[in-house]
Order: sequence, then C-alpha cells, then structure tokens
Amino acid sequence: MLELSRRRFLIGVGLSGLAVASPRLMAAGSTPGEQAFHSRPIPSTGESVPAIGMGTWITFNVGGDQYLIDQRTRVLETFLERNGTVIDCSPMYGSAADVIGAGLDKLGAHDRIFAATKIWTSDGSETREQAATSERRWGIDRFDLLQVHNLLAWQEHLATLKEMKAEGRVRYIGISTSHGRRHRELARVMETEPLDFVQLTYNVLDRESEERLLPLARERDIAVIVNRPFQGGSLFRRFQSEPLPSWAGEAGVGNWAEFFLKFIISHPAVTCAIPATTSVEHMQENMGAMYGQLPDASQRRMMAEYVRQL
Amino acid sequence: MNGAAWLSYSLQDFVMFGPEVFLRLFARINQDLWPWLLLWPLAGLVLPWFGRQAAELPRRLAMALAGLAWIGCGYLFLVRYYGPVNWPATGFGWAFVVQGLLLLLLKGRALPAPMTRPVAVSWWLAILLLPWLSVLEMPDVWALALFGLAPGVTVAATVLLFARQPSPLRWLLLVLPLAWTLFSAATYWALGTFWLLGFPVATLALLVVAFRVNPSPEQTPDSQSVRPGPGRQSP
Repeated sequence: MLELSRRRFLIGVGLSGLAVASPRLMAAGSTPGEQAFHSRPIPSTGESVPAIGMGTWITFNVGGDQYLIDQRTRVLETFLERNGTVIDCSPMYGSAADVIGAGLDKLGAHDRIFAATKIWTSDGSETREQAATSERRWGIDRFDLLQVHNLLAWQEHLATLKEMKAEGRVRYIGISTSHGRRHRELARVMETEPLDFVQLTYNVLDRESEERLLPLARERDIAVIVNRPFQGGSLFRRFQSEPLPSWAGEAGVGNWAEFFLKFIISHPAVTCAIPATTSVEHMQENMGAMYGQLPDASQRRMMAEYVRQL
Repeated sequence: MNGAAWLSYSLQDFVMFGPEVFLRLFARINQDLWPWLLLWPLAGLVLPWFGRQAAELPRRLAMALAGLAWIGCGYLFLVRYYGPVNWPATGFGWAFVVQGLLLLLLKGRALPAPMTRPVAVSWWLAILLLPWLSVLEMPDVWALALFGLAPGVTVAATVLLFARQPSPLRWLLLVLPLAWTLFSAATYWALGTFWLLGFPVATLALLVVAFRVNPSPEQTPDSQSVRPGPGRQSP
C-alpha cells in the first residue's frame, strides 16, 4: 500500500480543489503530453467548445447490434475522456441517434456533451416534432444546436428554429451543407439570417469554402462546424502510405489524422471539426489533433501544397 | 434539388452504414433464430421435390413454401434487422411480405406444370452454394445467407418459379425481384462487398436459365389440361 506523505496529501488536496473550481483546466493537464487543448469561442455568445468534435455519419448507424453498440460506446467514452464535447448527428443517419443515446445512458454523460443534430424533413411544419423525437432518442431535454440539414425546406424550419431559440427550447441554431454543394445559396442565407452556426465541408483537398463561406462566417460572427474532414476516409486511402513531410513536427503534426485535422482547425474561421470513426484507436488519434502546436499560415500553405504534390 | 445536383452524388453518399454492420446482420439473425432457422433451408431443399410432382397439391405446397420464404426474409431480415440501418430496406421488406402472401393466394395457378430437372438442379445449387458468398465476405459460418431469411438467396432461387408463370402474372412477380436485384447490387458495390454481388449476378443468371430451359406455360401446356393427340390415344 502506498504511504501518504504530508506533501503528497497537500498536493492532492490542492489539485482536487483546482479540479472542482475548473474542470476544463484540470482536464487540459490530464491529456497525453500534458498539453493544453484547443477550444474555440462560439462568436454569438463567446462560449467555448473544443476544436475537435465527433461526427456520427455512417459510423454510429449500427441498428440493434448490441456488440457494435457497446463498441461505439467505447469510442464515445474515449472521445469524452479526451475532453471532446461536440457530438453531431442527423435523423438521416438511421439508428445513429439511438446508439448515441444508448452510449450516453451507459456512460451517464448526458450533461457532458454539446448536443447537435439536424432537422431533416421536407415538411416545413415538422420542425418541433422532429426535434422532440431526436431529444427522446438521445435522452436529453434539449439540444444545444439544431441545424437545418442540407438546406432542406430551410425557410420554414429556420423560422421555427428562431422561435424555439427565443423560447429557450434550443440554445443555438444553424444550417448545414456537405460535399461542397449549394454554397451560393448557403452564402445568401448566411448574409441575411441570424445564424449561430453553419456546417460545411472543408478539408485539405476540398477548399472551396475558403473563397467565400469561411470569410463570410468571420464577417458575420457565425461559428463553423466542418464535416467530412477526411473526405469520407478517402484522404487516408490516398495518402496514408505516403510519408509525412519532414517539417511535420514543426507544425505540431505527428500522424496523418493530425495533419488533416490541424490543417482545418488552424483556419481562423473554423470553430470545430467533426471527424467520424468506428475505432477507439482512431478516436485517440483524432483527439490528438486538439493538443499541441497548430500550423501557422505559411505552414498551412505548405500542407496544402504537400498533399497536392502527392 | 436539380438534376445536376443529384448527379454530383456518388453511390457511397446514399449508403448510411458500413460493411461490418451489414455483414453482421446475417450472423445476428442466424444466432437469434438458432436452431429454428434450419427449418428454412430444409424447406428450400424439399421444395423442388414437391414442385416436380404431377399432382397439383404438392405443387401448391411448393409455391406456399416459396411464399413463406418471401414472408420470412421480408419481415425478419429486411424489416426487423436491415430496416433500422437502411430505411429503404423496410419498404422492400413489406413488399416482400405482400409478394409472399400473393404466392400463398395463387393456389392452383401456382406452378402450372412440374419443375423440370434442370430447374430443380439449379434451385438446389442456388440454395446450397449461394449462402457461402456472405461467409466469403465475413469469415464466420454464422454469417451464412440462408434461404428463407437472406433475400439474396431467396430471390435468386425463386425467380426460377416466377419465370414459370403465365403472362402477365410472371412479369408482376418479377418486378420486385428485379428491383431488389438492382438495389442490392448498388448497395454491395457502394459497400465494397464484392463477393455479395454474386447474389444479383446469380439472380439474373438463374432467370436466364429459367427462360431458356423452362419455356413458358403457353409453350408447354399443363399435363393435366393437354388434349391428347392422335399418336397418344389411350387404349
């Protein structure tokens, strides 16, 4: 049995008090490498969220398969242990919402997350009903963020979401797109509507958002969630067999997951990237991108050039 | 969304689950229904024996077994197991149930003439060999795609019966198998589970076999309704 010295006791009491006073500060010190993690403020309120979140497209749609539900719960547990909070889903993703709900139940983690989902129905009158269904599936009282999925019936849904926000039924509202589609229409919505968040596709190869949407988000104080950071996994298939550049360490990059994710979250307009995975090991790698040095502007240019040459 | 926007999507964009989830469906349904699941392949094995009888009652029974197989894989595999991860599967599942009920209601029109030997052999080959395609993708004997539960095997085998029907019933019965063949082939391609493409390929091959070696009832009249020619007069 370990003897408890007076010095150890005092340090322990001090750290416990610090943990109670500032769980995030304490969490930052308990991570690999003892490095502070990167969080970003939501422009409309200043509230901070970790720069790496978790997507659930494909990965959490496992139906009633208890073995896979348990496995995805371990992925979720790893995400939370590494200080992740932002979880994004959609009614479009099959059983993913139920699997998230089962995982949160098992981990008792409903109050440790920033819950984000989407409204995905062409019926503009079903906004509240679908949000309530998603709340029930996640096992939460309300969402932190509700987004109109892929601009589907966005006028009707956004009008209702604004009402819900005013009533306190949701904290933030937004709109999403993916695969680089409908950027012009999204830009028009961003210019005219009071959005807290937009969600769009951005990665080291798909950089169309840099031209208009990301600058517009900064100009309009809109937080940006980035989906498909690995281009649906194809970035790994294309580049994983290649060596990292010799200067990767200087940019704070230790593996390809960090390379792709740090490129994204180092863009000044990006609030959070939401990679999806089915693997605990990959989740650990993804969350590693939230720690340590981030590439600067010139290093970001070198990263884009490096993959372009490959 | 305009047509150009739809064209920018790839097949993978429409598949919301991974190959592991899909392949485990076979293992899960087999483990959950063990040992009762053995009734389905057994029924599949004896079906051609009934189908080859001259009397109408066994042939009715053959079609009823085929109908139960469609209901089984429609409700159990497609609605209960596959539907939660892929919503179009639920629609297909209920359509399979309706088609199964239709087969049960066909009664005497079920099999207008006994199954020929090549069709029976094709049937047995289909239900004995095709189940192993899913095991080739997921090396686990629990993943066998069994007749009466797995739609790929069930559809591939039963098109041999549907092609035997008189028009327009034949084409009515073939609509769903062909739709499923197209849908499942696209899904397997998007998932990268290329061994499973053997199911739609086998379905089309067996359909060709059925049409080539098993001419339509208009060309081969039922033995019970044939009018004896001069050379076949009874004494």
